Amino acid sequence: MPGSGRDERAWVRGAQAGSASDLEALFRAYWPRAFRAAYLVAHDAAAAEDIAQEAFLAAIRALDRFDRRRPFGPWLHRIVVNRAIDWSRARTLRAELELHDVPVEQPDRSDADRLAAAIAELPEEQRAVIVLRHLLEYTPGEIADLLELPRGTVNSRLRRGLDALKGEL
Amino acid sequence: MRRALERIEIPGEHEARERAWAVVQAAHAGREPQPRSRTLVRPLLVACALAAAVAAALSPPGRAVIEDVREVIGVESAEPALFSLPTEGRVLSVSPGTAWIVHGDGSSRLLGPYRGAAWSPFGRFVVGTTRLQLATLEPDGDKRWSLARRDVRRATWGGTRTDTRIAYLAGTQLHVVGGDGRGDTALIDAPSLPRSPLAWQPGRADRLAYVVDDVLRVVSTRARGEEAWSVDVPGPLVSLEWSDDGSRLLALSRRQLAVFVPGRAVSRTTLPRGTVGVAAAFEPGSRRIATVIYSPRLDRSDLRLGARVRFSGSGRFTGLAWSPDAEWLLVPWRDADQWVFVSTDGSRRIRAVSRVSAQFDGFPRVEGWIADEEE
Repeated sequence: MPGSGRDERAWVRGAQAGSASDLEALFRAYWPRAFRAAYLVAHDAAAAEDIAQEAFLAAIRALDRFDRRRPFGPWLHRIVVNRAIDWSRARTLRAELELHDVPVEQPDRSDADRLAAAIAELPEEQRAVIVLRHLLEYTPGEIADLLELPRGTVNSRLRRGLDALKGEL
Repeated sequence: MRRALERIEIPGEHEARERAWAVVQAAHAGREPQPRSRTLVRPLLVACALAAAVAAALSPPGRAVIEDVREVIGVESAEPALFSLPTEGRVLSVSPGTAWIVHGDGSSRLLGPYRGAAWSPFGRFVVGTTRLQLATLEPDGDKRWSLARRDVRRATWGGTRTDTRIAYLAGTQLHVVGGDGRGDTALIDAPSLPRSPLAWQPGRADRLAYVVDDVLRVVSTRARGEEAWSVDVPGPLVSLEWSDDGSRLLALSRRQLAVFVPGRAVSRTTLPRGTVGVAAAFEPGSRRIATVIYSPRLDRSDLRLGARVRFSGSGRFTGLAWSPDAEWLLVPWRDADQWVFVSTDGSRRIRAVSRVSAQFDGFPRVEGWIADEEE
């Protein structure tokens, strides 16, 4: 779980000064949700690893320019979610020549698995706002800022996405 | 809803986190730490500190501190010397003008004043080159035989347990000589040959790959260089290497990684924009490929395994070598003066050794990591 705002600022300050332990604290606090958010949008564990890892590498490259008064989480999550959306779009557009396993309905799947499968069926834009709202717990206004969308668009995507998931919830 | 989303199981979540942490940690270790924030009294302090630093730097302890500060690029937890390799085998390396064999226990054997070196196919011998000589050596440095030739480079030893050949360049000529030093023959003469890497097909003593005028040729050295197959390649190659089973040949240029089977490409991958190829190698016993690419704009190098970045750092990685058991990759990191050992499945921490130049009289190239000799 992410630490308090004070912890986070201290970790960022320490990481900027070269402290490996502060960097590790920051990584351990933010990796789980960044990775999970990328997975829920991209629905591919390897891609999620790459996306979340690239987001952290981007954070390190920009570490010296990072304004410590701003929270780290939204900045990282913006990168993760936008890259996951881009990845999902690219996969949709790609003509995949390889043969893939055909998913088979499994009668003993858990509720969580069914929810994951249902989210995977949503368009990537709806997946992204569902993840930002209900996993990362941003308000619709904050999501609108993160994704640079009108707030009404965020609300309508949320509504449509939740309607589609209603059966699994 | 949040709890439901957090209960969704993600395959390999724990392993992904540890792999990513290794990469992120290394990237962080490779950056310059930011100075502490400025205050109003800072200019005064800076002036005082500068004066003190100038005085201190003139003393031997002061110089030592400055050397430490210069080491900000690199893996932070690097060991101060190469105490051991992380797994079995022996590493052949060449620092400017000197060849070495490094053993698993960290001991090094100086082979002699060679500017190039390569293992024999089963690691029983080494071929070394000086500007005017090709020499074969025992692993303890004893010379077996030598040939005097002009402008000798890129010696490569291939073959089977009963029949081996050494290919090398002498000026603009490609030569092949038996592993016993007999039958030295010039196969071809071409002005663009000196830029060509050479690669023997594993399991055969007569099939050699090289590049002339942007054409990759695979020839039979027994039949006076008769061509078996050829394909076009985009510009000079930095790596040319067969898979262990001899079925595939990889060719890395500055912009493209291509994999060939006889007569055709099975894949051609353009490297990410703004990057250049540095080195590539097949995993032992596999078709998986590790690559090192460099971004001049960011002054940053990546070690990739397949499409995934395994390790990243500021400045240049100068090559790569797989361990014989395929569990580690050795990356020479010139700007950090380190050798970095990266676990290929991400399950173990990165190991690094600093001050490599001091141990090898200059920063060494890695010319291969081969299994220990069978008793």
